[in-house]
Amino acid sequence: MGNPVITAEKVYKVYKLGEERLRALNGVSLSVGKGEFVAIVGTSGSGKSTLLNMLAGLDKPTKGAIVIGGQHIESMSEAELVKFRREHVGFIFQAYDLLPQLDAVENVALPLSFKGVSKRVRTKKAEQMLKQVGLEKYLKHRPNQMSGGQQQRVGIARALVVGPEIIFADEPTGNLDTKTTLEVLHILKDVVHNGGNTLIMVTHDNNLASFADRRIHIIDGEIVYED
Amino acid sequence: MRFSDKFGMAWSSLTKRKLRTFLTILGVMIGIASIVIMMGLGEGLKLQTMEMIEEYGGIRTVEVREGSGQNAGSNGGTAASGDATQYKLTDAALAEIEKIPHVESVYPVLEFQAEMEVGKYRYSIWGGKAMPLDVLKNMKWEFAGGAWPEEDDELQFVYGNLVLQDFQDSRGNNIYWNTGKLPDVDLMTARIYTIFDTESYYASKQKATDSGVTALTADGQMNNTAKPPTPPKKYQVPTAGVLAGDTGEYKEYSWGVYCDIEALKKMYKKAFKNKAIPGQPLRKNGKPYPELFYSSLMVIADDVANVETIQQEIGDMGYQTNSNSEWIRQTEQQSRSQQAMLGGIGAVSLLVAAIGIANTMMMSIYERTKEIGVMKVLGCGLFDIQQLFLVEAGLIGLFGGTAGLFVSVLICLIINKITGLATAMIPVWLYPVSIIFAVIVSMLAGYAPSKRAMSLSALDAIRSNG
Repeated sequence: MGNPVITAEKVYKVYKLGEERLRALNGVSLSVGKGEFVAIVGTSGSGKSTLLNMLAGLDKPTKGAIVIGGQHIESMSEAELVKFRREHVGFIFQAYDLLPQLDAVENVALPLSFKGVSKRVRTKKAEQMLKQVGLEKYLKHRPNQMSGGQQQRVGIARALVVGPEIIFADEPTGNLDTKTTLEVLHILKDVVHNGGNTLIMVTHDNNLASFADRRIHIIDGEIVYED
Repeated sequence: MRFSDKFGMAWSSLTKRKLRTFLTILGVMIGIASIVIMMGLGEGLKLQTMEMIEEYGGIRTVEVREGSGQNAGSNGGTAASGDATQYKLTDAALAEIEKIPHVESVYPVLEFQAEMEVGKYRYSIWGGKAMPLDVLKNMKWEFAGGAWPEEDDELQFVYGNLVLQDFQDSRGNNIYWNTGKLPDVDLMTARIYTIFDTESYYASKQKATDSGVTALTADGQMNNTAKPPTPPKKYQVPTAGVLAGDTGEYKEYSWGVYCDIEALKKMYKKAFKNKAIPGQPLRKNGKPYPELFYSSLMVIADDVANVETIQQEIGDMGYQTNSNSEWIRQTEQQSRSQQAMLGGIGAVSLLVAAIGIANTMMMSIYERTKEIGVMKVLGCGLFDIQQLFLVEAGLIGLFGGTAGLFVSVLICLIINKITGLATAMIPVWLYPVSIIFAVIVSMLAGYAPSKRAMSLSALDAIRSNG
């Protein structure tokens, strides 16, 4: 393990449901090094997605500290978090979540436009990324003209285009068939090993988790074991 | 995020939902068009009233009549107020008024009476008006025949288009009202005899009709004991022209008889010598004054804004004054409130359109909750998201406003074509203002939705299914 890119220190997340308190995360501590491919594995309701959202700065912990690249993100304002994500984080969604009115290149170039990159430069970068994930024939296709696997590859390209230090993936193959799942996972693995990005993937499937360098198993909001 | 990118995204989301965008733009278009048309109608009304005022003697004119002086008591009976010529309208008074600042020009008006004999017909001039020839020419009245005389040497009359309707037969019955037919007289060619000394004329007529009858008149002195008065001299005054207008078409000059004031003065000298001129005041001893007093002086101000101060000043000098300024003020006030009312009607429809925009944007945000969430997760700045929606709303306003302006110009042209008048006038400044206004209103309507989009929780947004 290299230098830790992400450290979580005794992170709690408590939801109030009427009188009852639901502990979605119950004192989770973990550390992920640079260039690692880590899978967070757990069943539905185990708190794995909550943990991912905390680590990505989409949700705030009730208690505890999360440090990414030396910055405490649990105390950031929303505007600061947006800026943080824009500069350091890439995201891959289960349902791909591409913008339907944009074609593949435009979708991939979208995060660059948030950074104020000129259209010429970002289009070039996006095309490169799409070639890297094997979609050079689908540059001008809209999401509804592509298969699920192709759409998720666009999603991966979109996450990678900003050159993030960390990539978060929430069940990235949840909507794909077995063959495509394997394709996508191979791409992800290649990306991490070639580009030196850190990848944190949430999944409920132990087989998929076996692609990762390290697996963190989580049950009822607590880390039970790692392997 | 660059503005061009925001513009591009706003554009693509507008074009993605073409029908809805079109309907929203239609709403703005109708709103803007109704405001602009209403304002155009208001402006047209205002211009028309101004024109009307101009026709009724001008908006810069103050009419001055003789006064009794401010402290001359309550009775304005000037004939009884001794030899004072102080507040009467003489050439000296004219010169004095001319010196008042902001007075552009002053001209005198002399109203005159006369009797006319045209073949077997009679005609009494009651409202004859003599003015300087150049003033008359400046009125730009249209002629049915003839024109204003070229020189002021010889007295010549110009008749209004309805004068013939006042002709009477020898017994004093009005021909037109009794028979419905105009007398067969061509004023241009007829021999018209004019009697200026109407008092002597009436007296001689009275004498003629009373002879042989022992009539009891109210004032006994008029009775047969008086010497038979000699009928006054009749003058043949040539006709210079007849003013244009059909039977029944009323214009300000229709019932009048007009002539040059200098020519009339010369004629008066000839006709009256030292006798009293009807309508002119007399001294206490019943003798006429040696000079002629004008009926009124027309004072033209250099600007509408100065009319009231000039009127005030002349009033302070002791004369009676009269101008359209009060009327103009009232009319302006009236047309302003009319415009406000018309604009208000238009504003209601724009308000409805604005609510339409807010609704459309709200719908759009609900639909795109997921999309907004994804953009936030991918690092789109909060204000960039807000501005995306504001740009979208602004574009709707821009297109709606432009279309609305176009439509209202078209409709105003149609209205003017139908009425044949300048009923609706869109002032030029309203062109850019209406479009800017549409954009601002749309962006205001889009503000609350855009704020909402900005504050959407990214997490909730990506969780929602879409």
